[in-house]
Amino acid sequence: MAVHRIAVTGLGLVTPAGLDTGTTWARVLAAEPTAAHDPALAGGPVPLSCRVSGFDPASALGARTADRMDRFTQFAMVAVLEALADAGLDPRSWDGTRVGVVLGCADGGPGTVESQQRLLLERGPGQVSPLLLPMQLPNMLAGQVSIRLGATGPSMVVSTACASGTTAIALACDLLRLDRCDIVITGGSEAMVTPLVMAGFAQMKALSRRLGEPRRASRPFDADRDGFVAGEGAGILVLERHADATARRARVRATVDGGAHSADAHHVTAPDPEGRGVERAVRAVLAEAGADGAEVDHVNAHATSTPQGDLAEARALHRVLGDRPLLTSTKGVTGHLFGAAGAVEAALTVLTVQHGVVPPTANLENPDPRVELEVAAKLVETRIGLALSVSVGFGGQNAVVAIRPA
Amino acid sequence: MFQQITDILVGKFHVDPAAVTPDVTLTDLELDSLDIVELGLTMQQELGTTLTDDDLVNAGSLGAIVELAGQRVTAS
Repeated sequence: MAVHRIAVTGLGLVTPAGLDTGTTWARVLAAEPTAAHDPALAGGPVPLSCRVSGFDPASALGARTADRMDRFTQFAMVAVLEALADAGLDPRSWDGTRVGVVLGCADGGPGTVESQQRLLLERGPGQVSPLLLPMQLPNMLAGQVSIRLGATGPSMVVSTACASGTTAIALACDLLRLDRCDIVITGGSEAMVTPLVMAGFAQMKALSRRLGEPRRASRPFDADRDGFVAGEGAGILVLERHADATARRARVRATVDGGAHSADAHHVTAPDPEGRGVERAVRAVLAEAGADGAEVDHVNAHATSTPQGDLAEARALHRVLGDRPLLTSTKGVTGHLFGAAGAVEAALTVLTVQHGVVPPTANLENPDPRVELEVAAKLVETRIGLALSVSVGFGGQNAVVAIRPA
Repeated sequence: MFQQITDILVGKFHVDPAAVTPDVTLTDLELDSLDIVELGLTMQQELGTTLTDDDLVNAGSLGAIVELAGQRVTAS
């Protein structure tokens, strides 16, 4: 089934690797890890994270506006402003009824919840902030963006844990293909590196314990990987139908030619060991893009650096795509951004396709011999005709997007 | 008390100091209903007053709020 090509006309990134798209891209290409000891997690079981450092939401958004948002919304709002400027769009001149906002998020604002919970216990319910709910509800991510931009079309947040960003992009494409919108602001954002959340991940044995060598802790596809490093940030894409984008002479960075979803229906946290859910999503996205598995040149893998997850994903990709694609996982640099991960990685895949440069997988020193596909250990310059960005979430929820050059 | 409330409005709610006069209302300063609840809580914590959001809205002007706050400071 051939479908409308969806143009990516704008990108915005706020990540541990940089406060904008250009800085993030440069650090990803340099394979320079961001994992470090985190003073905010001192005393916890795993005081290691990939933080967005130097972030100043008051300057970017205005102090009053920033104060009324949790960090996950602040990240997204700053990235949205960058993406709109990149797309050459001005909210003062568009028909807001035709603009949608579809964003992904796993956890909303746990930082706000934790601080208000302390107030509740220490001082009683009368001291809890009236902004608790407007700040922490996950849907506020899209709500606040719609308010800021005067975008009165569909506005929603979708949650498929660590696949949320990719799920959002795929749904945004559907809204454009169904002519429900002319422009969709999509992507994901997350700020869940809090003491409580991290204690939960530590109890699940999901985190890397390489405390003595933080920069080497996130090492996707490496034989010595031992878990992920938690990160935070946002990735935003501005999407339009390709014909509309070219009609207004917008610069098209790449196109999204398919988006697909699946469920493992296997376990709440463990992936299907054979990656059958991922396989179904990849087959579905290829069908939507009208492509054969053998045409895929590159995959930005979900690979979070966990022993089981990376292997299950690689097995699934090898079964569907054969030996051709060159894999990378940019999480070696950024860590795992949860609900923002898929959005940031889709944006990086757009840049990969646009510039013909596959970023290295940071810390890949000793490739896991059970991974049968080639994983980029160094930067590779090559023309890419078709790339996939894969995301996998707790709950066994998977999403994949297919990206082609403009 | 006027200066203390002004400090809260400027410091916590980022209101333009030049806009804070005795005649101004909280609505004039663009505080919405959530901000006004937050203002009441902040005044309670920092000034020891016991004004609810309804009290703040009904008082009208900032001058009237200052007067009411002076009457409603808890003994402690």
